[in-house]
Amino acid sequence: MTRDFLPVSRQLSKLSWPSLMIGLVALVLLLLPFVFSNPVLLDLMVLIFVYAGLAQAWNILGGYAGQISLGNAVFFGVGAYTSTALIRDAQIVPWIGGLAGSFLAVILALIIGYPVFRLRGHYFAIATLAIGEIAVAVASDINLIGGASGLTIPFVRDASGRPTDSWLWLQFNQDRLPYYFIAFILMVFCVLVTILLDRTKPGFYLRAIKDDQDAARSLGVHVLRYKQLAFALSAALTALIGTFYAQYILFIDPPSTMGLNLSVLISLIAILGGVGTIWGPIIGAAVLIPLGEVTRAEFGGAGAIELMIYGGLVVLISVVQPSGLMGLGQRIRHRRAPLTEPEARAAAASSSQEKPHATLD
Amino acid sequence: MNTRHLPLLLAGLFVLLVGFLIGCAAPSPTAPAATVPLATAPAVAATTAPTTAPATAAASSGTAAATSPASAKVSEVKIGVIYPLTGGSAQAGLDARAGVELAVDILNGKYPNIDLPMAKPGGFLGGAKVTAVYADSQASPQVGQSDAQRLVTSDKVVALYGAYNSNVTKTASDVAERSGIPFVNGESSSPDLTTRGYQWFFRTSPTDNDFSKAMFDMIDAMNKQQNANIKTVGILAENTDFGTNSAKAEQAEAKRIGVTVVDTVQYTANTTSLTAEIQKLKADNPDVLLPSSYGSDTILTLKTMKDLNWVPKMILAQDAGYVDSTFITTVGKDAEGIASRAAFNLDIVKVKPLAKEVDDLYKTRTGKDLTDIPARAFTGFMTLADAINRAGSTDPAAIRKALIATNIPADQTIMPWKGIKFDNAGQNTMGQAIIIQVQNGQYVTVYPFEFKGANIVFPLVPWSQRK
Repeated sequence: MTRDFLPVSRQLSKLSWPSLMIGLVALVLLLLPFVFSNPVLLDLMVLIFVYAGLAQAWNILGGYAGQISLGNAVFFGVGAYTSTALIRDAQIVPWIGGLAGSFLAVILALIIGYPVFRLRGHYFAIATLAIGEIAVAVASDINLIGGASGLTIPFVRDASGRPTDSWLWLQFNQDRLPYYFIAFILMVFCVLVTILLDRTKPGFYLRAIKDDQDAARSLGVHVLRYKQLAFALSAALTALIGTFYAQYILFIDPPSTMGLNLSVLISLIAILGGVGTIWGPIIGAAVLIPLGEVTRAEFGGAGAIELMIYGGLVVLISVVQPSGLMGLGQRIRHRRAPLTEPEARAAAASSSQEKPHATLD
Repeated sequence: MNTRHLPLLLAGLFVLLVGFLIGCAAPSPTAPAATVPLATAPAVAATTAPTTAPATAAASSGTAAATSPASAKVSEVKIGVIYPLTGGSAQAGLDARAGVELAVDILNGKYPNIDLPMAKPGGFLGGAKVTAVYADSQASPQVGQSDAQRLVTSDKVVALYGAYNSNVTKTASDVAERSGIPFVNGESSSPDLTTRGYQWFFRTSPTDNDFSKAMFDMIDAMNKQQNANIKTVGILAENTDFGTNSAKAEQAEAKRIGVTVVDTVQYTANTTSLTAEIQKLKADNPDVLLPSSYGSDTILTLKTMKDLNWVPKMILAQDAGYVDSTFITTVGKDAEGIASRAAFNLDIVKVKPLAKEVDDLYKTRTGKDLTDIPARAFTGFMTLADAINRAGSTDPAAIRKALIATNIPADQTIMPWKGIKFDNAGQNTMGQAIIIQVQNGQYVTVYPFEFKGANIVFPLVPWSQRK
């Protein structure tokens, strides 16, 4: 806990280097679409931002609170369906629809969380898995939201009938650049929420719960309340991204917005990047999503080769570096420079995936 | 957060950059081409970003049209083809691709003996080469949309074709609609696709509504002409898009011809037990059972019906599991007499000489006879090629105009259709479904009567009396 109480000036001086790097990356990302106006690259970047945001939201629950959720796509679906249904049935703009979806997702998370957080470890994961499958089945049977056929968001068209751009309706059919920046802002927002959590008491409570729930409770941490907080935050962010996704693809159906595939991909990205860290999910998305796209573009016409290569690389990373790419970066550095004793101890603590920040022990 | 994390961030930055480089690497060949609109933009209108976007788009398509008028010879026509080549519907996607590959080779003059004007050397667009660029949608709507975007932007295809799964066709055709290039579909049957008011979307295949219509037209014809006395039907449908929509269409059709739906039983796809469902159907004992099921569910349905010793007068299925290439061999004598709707059946080769020629070619190439999906994929692709040929250029607007004017006669298609002609929504109005029935271990066409290979056998033989 000591570094939490450092004077602000010292914290800032310690932060200066990483901040500079982050600033630089952010600047590169902001300028990128002006240098490369290729829609394929923009599409890839939007997907990276979307999945980085989703993995980050998952990380709040799975990484910080240690509650492995395999049903996070449900909230994605709630966000996507709420805004889309409001557009189609009530002509309400997705800006409001997205907030409504987020709100609904929080309520749903609290309702689900109340009984489910009594389960621990694998049982929690299994319960969320079941909830995800139930959501797909239920959504497939509700005709009001398109049932199994899904919902299409109609194009905004100009006078000549050509699909056009509209900030109000959040559709950019000709100049797709705004999608890029909105996705980027959503990801940054998820990161900021995580940074805030990382630095404040709730974040430490969550890590305490992750390390030892009973010990945390004995120290006065209200376990259920903070788990619920993490779940609600995770759900709200995931739902917001869900609304964005619906506006980006303009078509949603239960398997593609709530399915197990999506839930697993979200957690895979976070785990591969490094759970319980701020930058892990982003690095995970920056590696996994281009990997998937490139293998598909290169080998896609040939059948299953793309998936074999993709799967092989995922297995390779998991075997070589189970604590994620964040851990890999640390290991490379430690191999290069001999460690001072306190550094070695810190590294030992943080390279173990279970306890990246064993601060409360 | 302290300086200890610096290398991590460096590593992160590196990874991000590698990501960009990989991302850039794939479309790099097109980089010079992509700058063309930017270069022409100031000349057209030196205004701010929001207004230049449509202006440059117009400029780029304008230049495309200017460089390829009918007089200038087009040397290559690139068409983007999206199919599910991996995942659950991979077999269908691979079969469809084989159909398209055959069409491409015919257009490229590899088989000049086939009885189609475009098959002759130089018969397609003055000898232009057709190149199909394939992409794998993995049956995912999002991936399909990314594929479409990549094909349009990086591969510079003049038209898109595909994508088998109705939900992928939905999102992939969005890209075509936005970019203003034609999208032709040969295999997706969701009726929604042609109710969206799209200007660039064309479908050659009949829809689920047409399929259900054919099923009930046959029941109606049997009642009127053969005194079959069919009064009640029972619907057994799986709960995905396919089963749900089929059940809906069947209910509407039953009402139309005046038969009663005594049961609509929906079950979870890939279930392990259908006992309760079949028991309910047995209790209500409809004259005709209308199942909509995929492979394993189909086998389970028949097994459960046997166990409960129930057989209706007729089983009339919405293809899928009942027309799988393995269906007859798997269930053996229990398949006998089961009928299904279909878009294509091999006995069409007896009626249409062109179908025989194409089937022979397909068989020498793949070792298999033509089936529904490759036949539909072939037909849709040839329809697109026909439009490009008549347009005489690769200008998207000209191709669209030619597609609208499409009028392919019955003898120029291999399908049991009256021809190919699109309505305002882009739907082929001359297509129709057929009904096939398993007779002596083979599928034969039994309806419509002008294409029939044999008379329908009715009613079904009880399970215990089969040999």
